[in-house]
Parts: sequence; C-alpha cells; structure tokens
Amino acid sequence: MENAIVMKNVCKDFKILNRHEGLKGSIRDLFSRDYKTISAVKDVSLEIAKGEIIGYLGPNGAGKSTTIKMMTGVLEPTSGEIIVNGRVPYKDRTANSEHIGVVFGQRSQLWWSLPLIESFKLLRDIYMVSKEDYENMLALYRSLVDIEPILHKPVRQMSLGQRTLSDILAAFLHNPDIVFLDEPTIGLDVAMKSKIRDLIKGLNQQKGTTVILTTHDMGDVDALCKRIVIIDKGMKIYDNDIDHLKTYFGSYRTLRMRLSDDTWEERVIDESKEDVMDVIMKKQKECKIKDIQLQEISTEEVIKKIYGGEEAASDTSAKALEVAAVAADAAASSEEGGAK
Amino acid sequence: MNESAFGNEVKKRRRGFGFYARIYRKILVQDLKSKMSYRADFIISTIGMIMTNLSGFVTFLILFKNFPSINGWDYHHMLFLYGFSLIALTPVQCFFDNNWNLRFQVQSGDFIKYCFRPINVFFYFMSEVFDVKGLGQFAFGIGTLVYAWVHIGIPVTPLVILKLILFLITASLFMIAIMNAAAATCFWIVGSGYVMVIMFRFKDFAKYPSNIFHGVFRILFTFVIPIAFVAYYPSLAILESENVPVLTWCAPAIGVLFFYLSYKFWMLGVRKYDFTGS
Amino acid sequence: MNLRKRLALTRAGIMESLQYRLGTAVTLFANLIYLVLVYFLWKAIYASAGTDVVNGMTFTDTMIYLILATALFNFLEMFVVWDMSRSIQSGKIVLDLLKPMKFRSYTFWSYSGSHVVLFTLTFIPTFIVVMIVTHGAIPMGINLLYFAIATVIALVVNFSMEMIVSTICLYTESTWGINIVKETIVLLLSGASIPLAFFPDGFKTIVEYLPFRAVYDIPLTILLEKNGADTIEGVLPMFGLQLIWALVLTLAGTLFWNHAVKKITVNGG
Repeated sequence: MENAIVMKNVCKDFKILNRHEGLKGSIRDLFSRDYKTISAVKDVSLEIAKGEIIGYLGPNGAGKSTTIKMMTGVLEPTSGEIIVNGRVPYKDRTANSEHIGVVFGQRSQLWWSLPLIESFKLLRDIYMVSKEDYENMLALYRSLVDIEPILHKPVRQMSLGQRTLSDILAAFLHNPDIVFLDEPTIGLDVAMKSKIRDLIKGLNQQKGTTVILTTHDMGDVDALCKRIVIIDKGMKIYDNDIDHLKTYFGSYRTLRMRLSDDTWEERVIDESKEDVMDVIMKKQKECKIKDIQLQEISTEEVIKKIYGGEEAASDTSAKALEVAAVAADAAASSEEGGAK
Repeated sequence: MNESAFGNEVKKRRRGFGFYARIYRKILVQDLKSKMSYRADFIISTIGMIMTNLSGFVTFLILFKNFPSINGWDYHHMLFLYGFSLIALTPVQCFFDNNWNLRFQVQSGDFIKYCFRPINVFFYFMSEVFDVKGLGQFAFGIGTLVYAWVHIGIPVTPLVILKLILFLITASLFMIAIMNAAAATCFWIVGSGYVMVIMFRFKDFAKYPSNIFHGVFRILFTFVIPIAFVAYYPSLAILESENVPVLTWCAPAIGVLFFYLSYKFWMLGVRKYDFTGS
Repeated sequence: MNLRKRLALTRAGIMESLQYRLGTAVTLFANLIYLVLVYFLWKAIYASAGTDVVNGMTFTDTMIYLILATALFNFLEMFVVWDMSRSIQSGKIVLDLLKPMKFRSYTFWSYSGSHVVLFTLTFIPTFIVVMIVTHGAIPMGINLLYFAIATVIALVVNFSMEMIVSTICLYTESTWGINIVKETIVLLLSGASIPLAFFPDGFKTIVEYLPFRAVYDIPLTILLEKNGADTIEGVLPMFGLQLIWALVLTLAGTLFWNHAVKKITVNGG
C-alpha cells in the first residue's frame, strides 16, 4: 500500500537558556550565555499508510506535538527526512497545507465571531473547493452528525464540544488526504466524545482520509485505531497493532480479591515478574479472601505501565476513574499528572 | 475557464492578487457584520479615537500659542504636515492593527493556527482585523489638510492631486513598515511589547519638520526608523514648488523597499519561531 | 495579610521582569532614542522662539521636565487594564478573585516588583544622565526626599486610576476604547506631553485641581523646585492635593470594584 507519510531518522533539537534559581539567579541570567540543547525528537522513523487511522501516543512533553508540527511543515527537522504526500512539508508548506487538515485541541482555528457557515464559506474560497465538492461534503456532514443547530452560531458562543466538532468538520472540508487531530476529545463529556469518535470514523471510511490522532484518552484509541505509535522522551518505543501491545510489554493481568470485610482489592500483576498464586498466598496470610477474579488488562492500563504511571491518572475519562483504584502503585506517583 | 469538478484540478490554480483581494473583501464584510453586534464597543472606541486626535490637536495648539514657528515652519504649514501625517497613519491603523495582538498570540502558542492554511501567513494574520476607527482619524486628517491647504493657497490641479495621492500612499508604507518590524520583534524577544508602544509614540514626531534633527540622528530617523518619511519628505512634494529634495522623489521606491523588508523580517520571525508555547 | 506575603509578590515580580532580558535591553535602548527625539524637537522650538525663557521655563528646564516625565511614565506604566480584560475573557478572573488576598492589593503588590525594576533600570539611569549633562541644573537637597514621597503617592494615584478604568471594563466590552480615552486624558492633562506651565491660564487653573496632575506634574515640579516648591510651605499644598486625590480615588475605586465584583458573581464570570 502507498504511504501517506514517511519519516526517516528525524531529530529535532531546541536551544534554551539555562535558567538559575532565585533572585540572584535571575540577575545572573540577564548576562548569561549558558544555553542547553534539548532533543525533543530523537531519531524517529515512521511509515503511515494511506487511509489508516493511527494513534500517536506519549506522555506530556514526549515530543508528539513537535512531530506533528514537523509533519505539517511548521517546524523544520534538525536532521532526517520527512515526506508527506510526496512533498517535503517544510520546504513547501503552502502546497502541503492544501492537502492536510489540522485540529489542535482546544485552539479553535475558525473565525471567532463568525457563524460556522460563514467560516465554511471562507475556507471553501481559501482552499478553492468547487461548489459541487463543497455541497457534497456538507451533505456528508449532515448524514453523519446533526450540524443544523451549530451552523448559524458564532464560534465564540459555542460550547467546547460544539467548537471541537466545528473544528473537525472544518479540517475535513477541503477533503484533505491527511488530517492531524491533536487531542480532539480533551475536556469533553462522554456523549460528545462518542459523537466525535463516530464522526472521525465515518469521515475516514467515506473519504479514505488518513488520520493521525494524538490523545491521552484510551477510549479514543480503542474506538478508532488499529495501529498505535508510542513515543517517550522523544524516542519511538512502540509501533505496532494495538492487540499486540498487551503481550509486548509483559503479560499483565488484573487480580481482584474480595476480602473479609467485603471490599475489593485490585492489583495489576506482571506475570513475568511475580506469580499470581504467590500474591494470593501472601495476601491470605494477612486476611481471609472470600472471592478471586482474574482479568485481562485494558489498553489503558498497559499504557499506564509504559508511561511509568505518570500520565494516565490525569485522564478524565470515565474509564480512568473506574480503574483509579486499581493502580494503587501507579497512583502514588501521579497525584496531579499532566501540567496542562 | 474550465471549471473542473475534480478538486485537484481546481487547486492547481494560482493564488494571485485577485484571489487575495476577494478573500479580504469577504472577510471584511463578515467582520463588519459581526462588529455591528458590539455597538457599545464601537461607540466607545470611536469616542476614544476622537479624543486622541483632539488631544493631539490641543497639544499642537498649546505649542503654537507659546512658540509662533518651528524651524521656519509657520502655523498653517505645520497644520498641513499634521493633517498629512494623520492620513498617512490611517492604513496602518485600519489594515495592520492585528500587529498589536501578535505578541499575545505568539506567547500563548495560538499563533500556530495561521500556519496551517495554504495562503500567505502575513496576509491571513492581518486580514483578521479591520479597524473601523481608523476611518475617524482619516476624516480628521482630511479636514485638517484641507483647512491648511486653503490657507496656504496651494493651487488645485489634477497633477497636484495625483502627487498627493501617490505621496500619501508612500508615507503610509513607512509607518506600516515600522509597525511590522516592531511587532515582529516578539518572535525573538519575550516581553518586547514595549518596542511597539514606543514606536507608536515615535509617530507623534512625524508631524514635525525633520530638518530639526542633526548629524547621525538625521540619518537614524530617515533610514533606520524612517519617521522623516511618514510626513515630512512626502509632503514637501506638495508644499514646495521648487527645491524639492531628492529624497522626496526617491520616497516611493524607498517606501516599497521598507515595506518589503519589514514583511520579510516578519516572515523570517514566523520561520524562526519554534512554537514551543503551549 | 502580612508584609512578608506582599514582599514575596514584589520579589516574584522582580524575577519575572528580569526573565525578559532582551526585552529589558531593547526597552532601555528605545527609551534613549525617544529622549533624543524630544531633545531635538524642543531645541528647534526654543531656537525658533528667539527668547531663552518661555513661561518661566528655560530650554534646560523643559528638557529636564519632559525627560523625567517620560522616565516617570515608563516607570509608572501598568497593564492592569489589558490584563484584566484578558482574564475576564478567559474566565481567569474567577481564579484571581479566589486568591487568599484582596484582588486590589494582590494586583498592586504583583506590580510592585516591575516598578522596582523599571525604577532602577529606567528612572535612575535617566536621572543620572540628566544630572551630569545639565551640570547640576537639578537642585540637590531635601527636594530629593520630597520627590521620593511625591512619587510614591503618584504611584498610588496612578494605580487607583488604572483600577477604576479596569473596573469600567467589567461593564463594557470595549477595553481598547476606554484605555485610549484614559491614556489620552492622563498624558495631556498630567503634563507628560507638554509641561503644564505652557497651558493657557484658564485651562491651567482647571487642570491644576484635577487628579492627573498628581501623577507627573507634582513630583517633577517638586524636584525642579518650580512654582514655589523651593520652600516647605510651597510643597505642602502639593502633597495635600496628592493625598486628597489618593484617598478619594482609592476609596472610590474600592467601592466601585466591590460593586462590580457582585455583578461578576451574579453572572457567574
């Protein structure tokens, strides 16, 4: 199958000033030339096939946004090669941007005070979409979601969910080959999340659009992606099918035990390191166990393990709340999670 | 023209001047429509604009009450210069006002949204704001200019009118260039807001004859921070019948050059900026 | 609320201002150029006048007055109005109101740090340069102490005006409009763009009783020992006027703010 995006050994470095602490440090920084180089992306190679929905995951500051900015042509890689739709995005940003769509989380790219339909018309002109294509696209939108209530509403009066929905629709309007969605479901309620997932899935199937999705919500990943790529500290640490993930990082299982006082205790166990029976026996010495359940681990929990328990607790999904009790070990190091 | 139904065929058309003019007009119309819904803001801002101009005028009057002439320029010639500078400052106020928001958008990272569209980033950014208040200043400037014009007794011929228009456009290019460059400093310098504030205050000196500057500062205010071109040199084309300085005739070309350089500087900032703010 | 807490805010403000090192350097440089502009303009104006003294002001007096007014302007400049309008738009204002300190006081002390930095970086260097260049045209005596006191009161008056204007922004959506009206009035009527000595008599009498004068004109008049400010009897009425306005504006600002905050709470931000 043809590739939509090819990245070869891509690196991106940033130079930042070394800041010192305290009042004296601030004064010293005034004259300091002490810069340090930070590698945001280290030697990442990646191939994304046309029509794929790919989950691009990693904790905050892992280099996800930097990668996307390079793919969209906003940033130039320090070294390595990126080809998007057969073009080098940084060298040909304008031509590249005709064939891509971008949604950046909570930052609306629409005209703030205009009703959505007027934004659409402007985008139609900017991307030079023919009348026919435009009408067809609107018809497709109508078949997928109920857009009538938001079509004549100014963006600034919309709820966050409506705004995200509008931004996604706007990103697909010129029928791009690739759409980048950076945390599209962040801060949305469960109903809206599922609406947006259905929309993305529908558009991907109808138009064959390649979708690069970054998210912290494993619900998004489970609903949309077959393949995921995980990066951490700028390095690619996983690139394969989502099903493969669970076996790849050790064989994890969740053990649930009902104790003598009828409370359930849950533990995630890595079977390559400790034996489930050992855990049960050890526990039994402390108190009586009334009941035992053994469950396969969810994607969420695997990812949590990979990130080192830092990220997942900041997730607000219902699922995260459900398993919050599970990760007693992870929770200890994750009080506040992301610095978003 | 063959209106092809295939999206890709259509997309290959070039985005020329006509395209940008059409987009700008459409955004402008929409923008004006939505501005009508903020009537209170519009009225207060207009009052503010009138106040600024009135206050500038009062300063001018007080000055002339104490000092009858400045460097050989009498009241009416100074008034001409004043009106000229007000008109020349209108385009930067009307079309390039979004420069004032650049710093905040760059710092918050919101600026990135301008980089995802297949149109010129500078155009896209500036098109977002059209400042209607600038028109009030324009009217004030016209009034002042006409008054001074009549009192000085400059003959009205088609050639003079043509010259006036040409040199007003020239003059406005310089102010736009100054503000573009000042705004673009925020791509490199955090906390550069003050640069814009002070450059905007420099414009108050455009309404004085630039032969008051001497030595290295004359060069500085002519070629580095070109406030001498915002009113003084261009207006000499109308005020003087002979002995017009060479710099006056060169002004249109220099203006285009300055505008181009400021645009390039602005765009360089966009490329250099690493969009780390989030 | 103890002093330590307030000084912590001052310290944080100083550190934050210093973070913008290039910005600071550019600010200094741009200021210098502005002063050059002022110098040339008034030199030409005085040269054309034919006399050395106009309305009791010599060229040197006018220059010192205007240069120090600019330096004061830079040092007093606050962006309370803009900050406020942005935090209203983003809803951050609610968080600010929840801080364990009165909002007014929180804002004042947050800004104090940048005032300290700006005073050291802009006012003092300007003052020293002016002093050297004019060979002692600035009187050096008790007037410096009076000037320091007057500047502190000026700061309070200026802050109160900023807060009142910011509060107006809670009611209207026109930050730009209100801010420009304020700035224009303050700059003209405080004597920052043209010394009040040049104003026509009738106009001057009215302006002398308005609060704007308390910000720039009074501290500078005291510093230069003009208008009878060379004796304590001449200085006291000026302090009196400043203090009355500081009190009136602080009180009015506080009452107005409390009223406005009730409105926010009702609207839910």
